[in-house]
Amino acid sequence: MDNILKTLTAEQRTRIDDEVRDAYDFDPRDPLFGLSRNDLSGSEMKRRTVLRLLAAGGTLTALQLVPGVLGGSGELQAAGKAGGTLTCGWAGVGEIRTIDPAQINQVLQFQIASNVLSGLMHIDASLVGKPDLTEGFEVSSDGTEYTFKLREGVTFHNGDKFTADDVLFTYNRSKDPKKSIHSRILKNVKEVTKVNDYTVKFKLGRAQASFLTKTLERASGRAMTIVSRGGIEKLGVQQYGLTPVGTGPFKITFHELGQGVILEKNENYYDPSRPKLDKVIIKPIIAAEPLAAAIEAGDIKLIGGNPPAAELIDRFKSNPDLVVKEAPGPGFQAVWMNPHRDPFKVADFNVPLPELMKQKGFKVRLAIAKALDRERYLKQARFGRGYPAYGSINPAMGYYFDENLGDDSNQKFDVKEAQKLLAEAGFPGGKGFPELTLGATVQNRRDAQVVASILKRNLGIKVKVETKDSPVLLQDFLAMRYDMMRIGSGGDYDPDDGVVDWMQTNSKFNGAKRDKSKMKFGYWSEDEADKLIATQSVEANVKERKALVQKANKITSDKVACAFLYHPMDIKVWHKSVNVPAESLIPALVDLDRTTLS
Amino acid sequence: MTRYMLKRTIGAVIVMWAVATLVFFMLRIVPGDPIAAMLFDVGDPAAAEEIKEKLGLDKPMYVQYAKWFLLVLQGDLGNSIYGSNIQVNRLIAEAAPRTLSLATLSFIVATMIAIPAGLIAATRKNSNLDHGVTFFAFLGLSMPDFWLAILLIIVFAANLHWLPAIGYVPLSEGFWPWFSHLILPSIAVGTAFSAIVARMIRSAMLEVMKSDFMQVARSKGLRENTLIMIHAFPNALIPVVTVMGIAFALLMSGAVVVENVFSIKGLGRMLIQGILNRDYPVVQGTILIISAIFVFTNLLVDMVYTLIDPRIRYDK
Amino acid sequence: MTEQTLAAIETETPPSLRRPGFMSVVKSDKKALVGLIVLAIFLATAILAPLISPYDPNDMDFEMMEAPSMVHPLGTDDLGRDLLSRIIHGTQISLFVGISTVAISLFFGVALGVAAGYYGGWLDNIIMRYIDLQWAFPNFIIAVYLVAVFGSGLLNVIIAISLAFLDDFARIARGMVLVIKEEQYVAAARTVGTSDFCIMWRHIAPNAVAPIIVQATVSISYAILGEASLSFLGLGVEVDTPTWGLILAEGRSFISRAWWLGVFPGVAIMLTVLSINFLGDGLRDYLDVRETGDPGAS
Repeated sequence: MDNILKTLTAEQRTRIDDEVRDAYDFDPRDPLFGLSRNDLSGSEMKRRTVLRLLAAGGTLTALQLVPGVLGGSGELQAAGKAGGTLTCGWAGVGEIRTIDPAQINQVLQFQIASNVLSGLMHIDASLVGKPDLTEGFEVSSDGTEYTFKLREGVTFHNGDKFTADDVLFTYNRSKDPKKSIHSRILKNVKEVTKVNDYTVKFKLGRAQASFLTKTLERASGRAMTIVSRGGIEKLGVQQYGLTPVGTGPFKITFHELGQGVILEKNENYYDPSRPKLDKVIIKPIIAAEPLAAAIEAGDIKLIGGNPPAAELIDRFKSNPDLVVKEAPGPGFQAVWMNPHRDPFKVADFNVPLPELMKQKGFKVRLAIAKALDRERYLKQARFGRGYPAYGSINPAMGYYFDENLGDDSNQKFDVKEAQKLLAEAGFPGGKGFPELTLGATVQNRRDAQVVASILKRNLGIKVKVETKDSPVLLQDFLAMRYDMMRIGSGGDYDPDDGVVDWMQTNSKFNGAKRDKSKMKFGYWSEDEADKLIATQSVEANVKERKALVQKANKITSDKVACAFLYHPMDIKVWHKSVNVPAESLIPALVDLDRTTLS
Repeated sequence: MTRYMLKRTIGAVIVMWAVATLVFFMLRIVPGDPIAAMLFDVGDPAAAEEIKEKLGLDKPMYVQYAKWFLLVLQGDLGNSIYGSNIQVNRLIAEAAPRTLSLATLSFIVATMIAIPAGLIAATRKNSNLDHGVTFFAFLGLSMPDFWLAILLIIVFAANLHWLPAIGYVPLSEGFWPWFSHLILPSIAVGTAFSAIVARMIRSAMLEVMKSDFMQVARSKGLRENTLIMIHAFPNALIPVVTVMGIAFALLMSGAVVVENVFSIKGLGRMLIQGILNRDYPVVQGTILIISAIFVFTNLLVDMVYTLIDPRIRYDK
Repeated sequence: MTEQTLAAIETETPPSLRRPGFMSVVKSDKKALVGLIVLAIFLATAILAPLISPYDPNDMDFEMMEAPSMVHPLGTDDLGRDLLSRIIHGTQISLFVGISTVAISLFFGVALGVAAGYYGGWLDNIIMRYIDLQWAFPNFIIAVYLVAVFGSGLLNVIIAISLAFLDDFARIARGMVLVIKEEQYVAAARTVGTSDFCIMWRHIAPNAVAPIIVQATVSISYAILGEASLSFLGLGVEVDTPTWGLILAEGRSFISRAWWLGVFPGVAIMLTVLSINFLGDGLRDYLDVRETGDPGAS
């Protein structure tokens, strides 16, 4: 990352630094982040406004301001011809089970949905929400009331007109847990009212910085991705799940599970200059070798879906016909140790660290965390694709990521210290250490073997890798039925996704299905971390929030909630005959509306 | 004869019912909660309960069974647990043509190789040609089909770019697109089958050629070629028909593995994915269909067998 | 399989007829000889695995994907493990799975088949209905299902494949018993008042042996292939147990960069299965069991 910054001229660097400083310069108590209502309302946001919002969301980094990296920064793209058919392979998946936003639970699904359906807002390459089906909006001075002016003259693929009723229909459908799995996202929305056919008003429970970029986002939020009432009524929910009707740049003309999806140009898209392509064919390809063969043979020209297997990337990079883009991906992966089982037993994490350090069970936990040679792991298991992790806050979150945690954390890699801790816990050189099992999904077995090998090499302990189908493994994880487990999180764009979902006593993953009469907490419970995490999620001041997040993150690291392993990398691959403009390079998305063929 | 066939058919249906029942209960006693896995990232317990209720998974097992059974009697195999809950009937209707295309083509490719090979080997017994055929037959039987599949992809798709590496294209999009996608998988699936049939034909031919009626025919002065094609070969086919049931099983098993290598979503792949995801209705439905195909193929083989071999009668 | 095809498995040689010694047959049958030698080599490899394996099969101490060389005769795999050591240890597991599954299914299958054939009546009915049930599925699909349901792991794989083969042995044994039961010497033994078990053990079992031996040999090769396929689908043994199928499955993504990962384990499987088939064919000739297509093939 820093390498890119180093290539800049001094003048460019100064300008970028100024912009970042300006963006973060606002009164934290101001729900409008120092912007005027005029700045926030209207059809086009000024660059300064965009950067401010980015800063308010905590996702602004200097990197994003480098020319050519931040989408829409005025850079001209080599334009290809309009028209043509693009065939894509969706990696690591056998079928696209659903494209109905209400049911979508995988990134590879909303990658397609984002090309077919629209939302009120859509994030751009720098994760800023831009108006999609709106012409502009106004925010009340306390930041709890948003009034949207909807785009007029938009039609669904079936010819129905898009109006305020469709926003209400989508809202009512999504907040009903019977119909949508995303009802939770709408908890802060108290009311949605129709002012007239092209004006709607959202009333929030409290001001929420991520409202525009998360709740209303067309792809990743999935709760307010506008669905067609007429489409659902005519097709039925099942068929709608396969061939949803939307207002997006492409319409679905074919979808057979396991066979693939065909998108065709929506001639009536509200922006007549988009999409450029006539047709997009999407084929699911589950195995790595056939995927590589397909793109090398030119059967497919672009890879979407799950990130292609790490071992293929060097091969793709050495192929002059292919373009490979790498960037930090959202998520963290870890090795979990059950604190209710020997030799990891910790009865209570709520004691000062020095005291915790004296306990046998904690010594073993820390020894394992310190013995994890993350560099070696990344090289062997991920072919160098990934970033060492010491906490749940990932580098894709930009502003909140703590670059120094690797050096400051108690978990810092140190074999000697790890061996010493293990010896102090009564297992010198690994002698007498029980043979434990390390659970992993079938997909992660390679990965887990490397962890086992590193522990054997550095601590002399034997860990038996046990793979299970994910439904079984996840159940074991939630019920705390494991010695050690290799599991982690993906799609974390906001600090809440890391710390709230994983690191609080009541986090949804924290032993939610354990036997509560026998286990007081799940894998981890710490009062101070709980408090910090609760405070940060309602903290409007990003500087404050950053401090809170990083402090909580460090506690989870120092007190070994788990042994953090790595953060993933977002990798995009396409054939050089495909032109993907920089503004379409949205992390984890595959928006094809601006893509052309040459 | 009719009575025997009726009895066999009823037997087949009972077997299928027993299979379905066994599968239903076995699947539900094992660990693994599909809903929890599906909602793992979303993590809303309320949603999990709602979905369970919607799919009827909150009811006692026997209620679920009764409900499912009644639906099956009406030809409805239920709905997939995942995504938009697509009907299993529809999934099967989409997957079956892929598997059947693959099985049929494998069958044709394999017989086209096996029959001439078997005939040549038999008529030139102990020649180098015979040894060659025998050796290749053994080789074919000994190669794991998935390994063959990978080697084929590497050579013909990745390096030579002659054929597509993966996927399936329906026949409706033209013969060549359909055919070209199935060539490599068919070879991978059909090789072992071809080896078996070639060996069967060879030994059956040798047997027939030793028989009395061939001696008689020969003494009548018929030319050897006529003799082989008109008299010996049809007779040699009779024992071959008996292994067709087994051969079909071989093709289906091969398809399970090979479909996975070539990313063809046929019945085999559907089954494996269904099992791994604990998608109960999909597994139940696929198993039911595979066993139906299998049981009725065997039944059909029996019937054909009685028709072509008049020596066999069913009097019981 | 139906009754009439079973009849085809019957031995044509009267059980009392003396045969030439097996070794002399093997000597005259080059195929069988080659099969026997290759198999002996693999068996020796399996037994001596810990001694002859140059490295620990799970040590990831070397460069990743190094081509075959003097240090690593078959190269290293994608995690930097010595491929030769892995294949040598894989021999152990593959042959163990092959032999133990067949031993288990042979024991229980023959017991069921003999009991069904000898006693007939309701016992026969129950056993046959169960066998019919299994018969409604290709063996491999049964194994896939059982492993998927009960979880992977060496023991489960062995149980699943054994169960899947059970019906083949039971059918053959039952068919043989039905034929032999009617033979005069059995009738004679019965009139003398020999116990059922004694008749089954002394008179029937030995005479049913030939086709069962042939079936068992063939089944070993299918068990080995079955284990490899299960491992390949990710349903096989534990990940730190190197088996040929697993080595292939793991190496699969790297084949175009490291051909040795795709070639050597496949060759090991093929050679073993081939030699077993050669041997089985020799046995078939020697025991004069007519070929019926291999039921184990399903």
